[in-house]
Amino acid sequence: MAISDFTIIRRSLTSRLFSTVMTALTVAVAVAMLLVLLSMKDAGEQAFSRGSGDMHLLVSKDSSPLVSVLNGIFYANAPAAPILRPEFDRVASDPRVAIAIPTQQGDSFAGLPVMATSAEFFTKFQPSQGRPWEFASGRAFEKPFEVVLGARAARETGLKIGDGIYLSHGRSNAAVRVTADDHADNHEEHAHEDHEEGAAEPAGHVHREFPYTIVGILKPSGSAHDTALFTDLTSAWTIHAHDRREREDPTAKTTPADITDEDRKITGIYVRAASRPGADASGAVGQLAYQLRQEGFTVAEPSKEIPKLFKIVGGINAILVAMAGVVLVSGSISIMIALYNSMEQRRRQIAVLRVLGASRGRIFGLVLTESALLGLLGALGGVVLGMLAGGLTAGALRGRLGIVVTPVYPPEWVLIVIVAAVLLASVAGLIPAVAAYRTSVARNLRPAA
Amino acid sequence: MGEALSITDLGFRYAAAGPWVVDIDALSLEAGEQLLLTGRSGRGKSTLLYLIAGLMEPGRGRVLVHGQDMHALRGHHRDEFRGRAVGMIFQTFNLLHGFSAAENVMLAMMFSDIPRAEHAKRAHDLLAHLGVDRPDAPPEQLSIGQQQRVAVARAVACRPALVLADEPTASLDPENAGGAMDLIQGACRDTGAALLCVSHDPTMAERFRRRASLDALGAETQR
Repeated sequence: MAISDFTIIRRSLTSRLFSTVMTALTVAVAVAMLLVLLSMKDAGEQAFSRGSGDMHLLVSKDSSPLVSVLNGIFYANAPAAPILRPEFDRVASDPRVAIAIPTQQGDSFAGLPVMATSAEFFTKFQPSQGRPWEFASGRAFEKPFEVVLGARAARETGLKIGDGIYLSHGRSNAAVRVTADDHADNHEEHAHEDHEEGAAEPAGHVHREFPYTIVGILKPSGSAHDTALFTDLTSAWTIHAHDRREREDPTAKTTPADITDEDRKITGIYVRAASRPGADASGAVGQLAYQLRQEGFTVAEPSKEIPKLFKIVGGINAILVAMAGVVLVSGSISIMIALYNSMEQRRRQIAVLRVLGASRGRIFGLVLTESALLGLLGALGGVVLGMLAGGLTAGALRGRLGIVVTPVYPPEWVLIVIVAAVLLASVAGLIPAVAAYRTSVARNLRPAA
Repeated sequence: MGEALSITDLGFRYAAAGPWVVDIDALSLEAGEQLLLTGRSGRGKSTLLYLIAGLMEPGRGRVLVHGQDMHALRGHHRDEFRGRAVGMIFQTFNLLHGFSAAENVMLAMMFSDIPRAEHAKRAHDLLAHLGVDRPDAPPEQLSIGQQQRVAVARAVACRPALVLADEPTASLDPENAGGAMDLIQGACRDTGAALLCVSHDPTMAERFRRRASLDALGAETQR
């Protein structure tokens, strides 16, 4: 096969393979960083938007709408300020409200949050717009002390349909399961026990008086809800009624019949405003939010709060992207140094090529193309590396934070990053290319002394 | 047969007011003719070859290669012309590492008008003709004698009008030097190229019917 310019470039790169690989790797790492950051940025926004699903308003008594969203949708902390039952009834009965789903947080299992809610949570609320809940197995709760597991909660706890568990009050790492002995014992002998071991704040106590049964496991929704356990409000209120009654009589037995209005507290309301069939955005949302604020509620519009969240972290993103840019530039500089250093060894080769008929311009082009090719190799390696790193990062986010992020690599971004890397590498190749262009033939063909 | 080389009033010096390193009134070489140019070290023998090849600019004078004024050509036109019309052989061969013997020969054809499809066959045929038995081996794995043959093949690969040989035997022992010169002169005869060989080796004289000394200003040639 005849020799071409590309053959010369290829031989030049392979003749100093270590330097070529290391230089391309520098560019690859920079490109990978850039791609991961860009893909995560968009995917992160999508992931955070996912949890709020099709709700228009999140009503609570938290200190601010952002805190309300963090607590009510992302389970950052259990909301402390309660909403009383009459307040919920007032909101739910507003003619502008199509759906009002009460939620209550405060209990946990194995450090995972428990959300008490109504059955409508599974039938009328969609965690992602247009994607209703689906059960991987089992069903929604139908009576008190039944539990539905989010997908990640099921995976982390290893619980299956039919398993029995005890919940902890407050956030606790306690993961107490119902055993055969428990069934044989009288539950009253298991008055709730303090559980400090491994507890997250505040230290919780395990309600051994009330065994729960797993009845359903949800499919992944890609939202923070996947980390939660869901039970009905009557169960939560029964436990709270028990706490109240136990303070007065430590031997008290409590059933749902003992629940009073004082116990019927919730911590949030998912609200979907009434809208015309087929329409999503409702003109009533603004008015409704205004009125509810006037009534003393904290009203968050998740679609507005989540961008605020990203505005906060957006600055960090910009710094990270800038850092990746700096790494990319330093990668280009390393290309320049590698090529420039190789010039010392290649001057004789260049001189011979000139004797054989290569023009200065062609030599200049060879070195510049070599530099661009190094950039391209690095960029392509970076795309592969970036996708691997993106997958690992997404796995880590899912595993550690429960945030389901699917890294997205829009082709136009990938193309832009590749072109940017190649352009930067080409610019970096200018100095070595000029050095090659100016190589003296006569001086470099003389026999070494 | 036309002239392969015609030099008229050629002068070169490194500084404007410095001495002329190359100073030749006239020198010509017919097609297929072979000339030995002798002179002491530092007398400007290599510089003269680079001037003829258009790789250095003369202070004065004119160099015609195959009828073309080398220094009237600019940029890539001169380089392309050199690639077609001039072959060069060096004392240290200057074969490129990282390329096989055949590829070293094909590198010369890369800048010529020879169709690409013919490069490989031509290179292998030429190397076989010159006695290179391992055309696909890298030069550093070949003996000195075989490397010399590859260098000669590269110089005549494009059937140039003129071959310039710069001290081609300086790094060889007398026995190998004789063989190398047989090879160079034979290859030039086979391809019809004129040969201008510069050397300070006095034993070379008997090989050339025509000789010239650069020490004699004006390059008085002995025919």
